[in-house]
Amino acid sequence: MIVENVLHRPIRTLVSILAVAIEVGMVMLVVGMTHGLLNEYAKRVEGVGADVMIQPPNASFFFGLSSAPMPVKIADRLAELPHVLAVTPVLFQSYSTGGVPIIVYGIDMPSWNRVTGGFVYLQGGPFRGPNDILVDDIYARDNHIRLGQTLNVYQDFQVVGIVEHGKGSRLFIPLATAQDMAGAHDKASIFYVKCVDPAYTDSVIASVRQLLPNYTVLSIKQFMTLVTSNDLPALTAFITALIAVAVCIGFLVIFLSMYTTITERTREIGILKSLGASKAYIIQVILREAALLCLVGIVAGIVGTIVAARVIQSSFPTISVDLTPLWGLRAAALALAGALLGAFYPAFRAARLDPVDALAYE
Amino acid sequence: MEPLIATQDLKKVYRVGKVEVHALRGVDLVVQEGEFVAVVGPSGCGKSTLLHILGGLTPPTSGRVLVDGNDFMAMSDAERTRFRRHKIGFVFQRYNLLPTLTARDNIRIAQHIQGNGFNPHRFAMVTEMLGIADKLNRKPYALSGGEQQRVAIARAIICEPKILLADEPTGNLDSENSQIVLNMLRTLNRTFRQTILMITHNPEAAAVADRIVRMRDGRIVGS
Repeated sequence: MIVENVLHRPIRTLVSILAVAIEVGMVMLVVGMTHGLLNEYAKRVEGVGADVMIQPPNASFFFGLSSAPMPVKIADRLAELPHVLAVTPVLFQSYSTGGVPIIVYGIDMPSWNRVTGGFVYLQGGPFRGPNDILVDDIYARDNHIRLGQTLNVYQDFQVVGIVEHGKGSRLFIPLATAQDMAGAHDKASIFYVKCVDPAYTDSVIASVRQLLPNYTVLSIKQFMTLVTSNDLPALTAFITALIAVAVCIGFLVIFLSMYTTITERTREIGILKSLGASKAYIIQVILREAALLCLVGIVAGIVGTIVAARVIQSSFPTISVDLTPLWGLRAAALALAGALLGAFYPAFRAARLDPVDALAYE
Repeated sequence: MEPLIATQDLKKVYRVGKVEVHALRGVDLVVQEGEFVAVVGPSGCGKSTLLHILGGLTPPTSGRVLVDGNDFMAMSDAERTRFRRHKIGFVFQRYNLLPTLTARDNIRIAQHIQGNGFNPHRFAMVTEMLGIADKLNRKPYALSGGEQQRVAIARAIICEPKILLADEPTGNLDSENSQIVLNMLRTLNRTFRQTILMITHNPEAAAVADRIVRMRDGRIVGS
């Protein structure tokens, strides 16, 4: 009966399934894109090859954004600490391409090379002048950038090198240029520190904390754990709000769908009651119908999300979408809970219908 | 022998807005097990209300209703529903089949609701007897009125109810199909001693019953 009822009104069924699919897709894509962005950023930070990162007091470790960069000269004092092999300052310049945020790295090439081991140049070579820019291969492919062309990042730069991706950012400009653009002379947003051996990381962190008591000092491993823990406080509210909107959509559509179903099938409910169907039986029939709609919607949503993620990644290679089975399950559970909640009142109302009135319903 | 149905001074008052409608004004009725009783009377005389009360679809306002030894006045809505599930079969004028289900599923849903599982022997016997065995895969819209009513009768008796309550079962049928349906009800009563209470306007339909009860203005005026 459940399947026949669902098939009886194909348009309503399709709309309900679509709403649940959108709900599931919205949850999975928002979370997937958020975590994809973070994970991809975290991997690039790890790819720098440093062991410790130092940021200004109260800076958010997320993208290291701070309105109060640190004096570059701190790098010299850090370099003197025991077990420190190299220190490189980086000044961040936020930029966006096609709505996708990018942190441009202003780097000091000699110290950067000491910490990171240097870029792998796929084309061209290092900076030759203040208005040169290096672009990673993914950004270059995505934006059809060729060696030697001009690229405007708030000002015109000449692309002098295309480097292998995976080291901190996708765009690199000379540190001094970045400082000029930001009006932050002799300042840096972050210091990456390379130890003589990764085993000295804790020791170096302790020394840095002694030297710079209020600064944010993290090992790269700690940073990776924080960013990829799927539990970023700054993003929790954002994700929760979007999930709430998605669940509301599913709830309301299923509520409306089941409510109209009940109204339309008042007489049929009367028939079931005349056959001796209990209130629990009627409620169960309605809830099972809602659950069937929801389950089909969940499958459609998951398949649609996987397809959408592939389309997004092939159209925008700089955007990562990390779809995880855990969030697939969470989205499915949320959709199911929302649908059952949405169906409960119509089901309860159906169960309470007077059988004589229901049988007389035209 | 204890009667299967016994009502005493049965009254039912509906409220339509602020207006009280006295549908039954003191009905005394006794039906023995195995009897085929026709209830006749003009529209609005309370026939359907009596049927609904005896089927446990609606509670009486006052009086006494004993059906198979169960006092409906003392039973809750859930208890009357449970009673109806196991002891009552309904046949309606408008057939009242579920439009999305095939004839087979319309019959089986009664067994499903009763919860005793599918009884293939009973199913085959009932559908053969009613001449619908070759129409079980059709949905109601693909059945004639007579066929739909036979499916409805099959659904009503599939769980072997104590009482079959038929509300104008031939009201929507032509004379040929009416006769077929009435013959079937008569056969059910004669062959299986099925107790039947049938409401009808049609004197020919009423004539197949063992006894005719006449109602007017919410009372029984002749039997």
